[in-house]
Amino acid sequence: MAIVSNISDKWILVIDDMEGMRSQLRMSLSSSGFAKLHVVSSIKEALERLATNHYDVVLCDYSLGDSTNGQQFLEYLRTADLINRNTIFVMITAEQSYAKVVAASDCAPDDYLLKPFTAAEFNARLEKLLERQTYFSAIDRASDKKNWGRMIAECDTLLAARDKFFFDLCKIKGAALIRNNQAQLAETLYREIIAMRPLGWAKLGLARALAQLDKAAEAEQLAKEILVEMPQFMAAYDFLGKLLAESGDKKGALAILQKARDIAPGTMNRIRELSALAVHTGQPEIAEKVMRETLIQHKHSPVRQADDYAVLSRALIHQGKTAEALNVIQDARKSFSDSPNNVILAVTESAAHLASGNHKLAHVSLEKALSAGELCNFSANALLAMSEACFTLGREEDATRLLNHAIQNNHDDVTLKNKVHAVLIASGKDAAEATALIETCTAEVIALNNEGVQHAQAGNLSEAIALLGKASVRLPNNLQILGNAALVIALDLVRNGKESAKLAQCLSYRESLIKKSPNHAKIAQIDTMLKQLKS
Amino acid sequence: MNDLHDAVMHDVKNQLAELALRLRARGDASVEMDIAMSASRRLTEMLLLGRADLCVNIDSVNPADFLNILAAEYAERFPNITIRVETVRAPESVFFDDALIRLALGNALHNACHYAKSCVQLTAFEQDNMLILEVCDDGPGFPASQISSDGTAPSAVSRTGTGLGLHLAHKIAGAHRLNDHRGYIQLHNDESGGIFRMLLP
Repeated sequence: MAIVSNISDKWILVIDDMEGMRSQLRMSLSSSGFAKLHVVSSIKEALERLATNHYDVVLCDYSLGDSTNGQQFLEYLRTADLINRNTIFVMITAEQSYAKVVAASDCAPDDYLLKPFTAAEFNARLEKLLERQTYFSAIDRASDKKNWGRMIAECDTLLAARDKFFFDLCKIKGAALIRNNQAQLAETLYREIIAMRPLGWAKLGLARALAQLDKAAEAEQLAKEILVEMPQFMAAYDFLGKLLAESGDKKGALAILQKARDIAPGTMNRIRELSALAVHTGQPEIAEKVMRETLIQHKHSPVRQADDYAVLSRALIHQGKTAEALNVIQDARKSFSDSPNNVILAVTESAAHLASGNHKLAHVSLEKALSAGELCNFSANALLAMSEACFTLGREEDATRLLNHAIQNNHDDVTLKNKVHAVLIASGKDAAEATALIETCTAEVIALNNEGVQHAQAGNLSEAIALLGKASVRLPNNLQILGNAALVIALDLVRNGKESAKLAQCLSYRESLIKKSPNHAKIAQIDTMLKQLKS
Repeated sequence: MNDLHDAVMHDVKNQLAELALRLRARGDASVEMDIAMSASRRLTEMLLLGRADLCVNIDSVNPADFLNILAAEYAERFPNITIRVETVRAPESVFFDDALIRLALGNALHNACHYAKSCVQLTAFEQDNMLILEVCDDGPGFPASQISSDGTAPSAVSRTGTGLGLHLAHKIAGAHRLNDHRGYIQLHNDESGGIFRMLLP
């Protein structure tokens, strides 16, 4: 029997809803030498364990009763950053769900085991996975920090050896290049791989790179080819769906995601995309069906979001089922009560009241949303939803203020601007008016930023600091302003000597920037400046 | 095959797997454990094979790691057989669906261990742009009825389920395609025993 090296140090978490399987696995793992072992029966217990303990290996059954499955759980863990990238996630599957598990999504497990398996097979595979875990640890650390530049550099170091992990490294490097907006380099890398072997992930990677290089037609063609060859390749459906939706073909996008749903039950992200597209394309009954089924299936599961209930509620409103829409919101409130979620639910409630002709209650609900907290704590989507509701109820001034805030906090986000444009059009503005409003708003924030920079260039550092500081309080999510606010203080410290209060302020801006965008170009500039200070 | 058949097969498969695990825990019943495990595996394969189209997910695989894992599993089930792994003539990375080829080759390896006198060898190498995965044993070799003239597998189910295993291996190999090439399997006998070969593009 193969003995896995140093396994007695490794923490392992087993998740299986079947008592028989749990005791089998416990017995098998303990007899193989695993001492640090936790065995749980549900996602809820698993999350409690994961919150307090670091695990080297998570062993999860795909089928966890009627609720959230192992794949959806993994997606949730990765999206919410609840496990390190270096934690090995192994999916256990029976033959019935095998096809669904291997239908590779963006969020694939590190390995999967087909039942029944022997202890010897499991140990031998785990030994290889642990070897891999050590090999990739530096890359995974960079990935956890979302430091794509670092990830790429770590990959390059290891790629030189051209060892057995060569293709895995290329896969990781390609994905990091895309996330780091280095599409040209990604394209070259993927083409090299494809020339060696036309692997599915390399083709999809190439399609992603092409899309990023504004070659949408080529990307679409390639994605369609991939799906003809590999109709089970779920990540390709998701990519193609997104591409079509972005190019304006929402019906086409919906059709693609529905096709994907016929093959595998789908990750929550895909279900969300699909429902939103169905509402947008005037087919609320599809959104209702899909989201209702999903929420019933995932009752009490942490993978649900308040937004999911809002989408279902809106799908019902669009069909005139306002009483049902209000029930959905009531139901959601049992699980979601914090202020960002309150906004989403209250806005949806307002829309339901309005649709049922109850203007007074519509206003009450909207007021609830507007007073749920500080504007800067709300997501762009929440701001847009509130603005939409304000327009509908004739509160134009509030509506514009909310849109302003959304744009000025993200003034270089094109997708957001398109959404704002859509809200303005829906409120009755014509296209020219909408564009002008967005441009004025953007120009204002650019002017503010430039004024700060000009002050700095002219040597008026204290004015620059004051101006950008004030701007960053008003627009705490605007990364450009945040970065420049840190930069001018750093410059001041270099010129006029250290001052602890200023340094602390500078570091706090830098911290916020890193938290919001770990790869922001300004961080390197700030750090260069701060290094001068040290020497 | 209907849903009821599937459900019953699935249940029996699970019971056999549990039996195998209990026999393993006793520590003195490796032959019995192997019988239960193989029966459970066979049902798994049937259930998988019953599905209309096989989902093939080709990626890079290190042949030494792959064969060593397979060898470790069968070494436990056949403690009296020595299983050797030979990969010096294979590149660091080869390309196939790890899980499916594991099923197919596992079957062949099981057979080889069953009929071998004392020794089985797993070899990976490349020849004429094909990857060859070979299972050689020192047993009596394949019966003449199983070795067809062109080396491809027979589709009839024969004794001890061998035919079913070959049918599955054949289907899995064939699902591996590259340009105009498809994978296939070959059975041979030589002076020392039986040779099962899987050739993949």
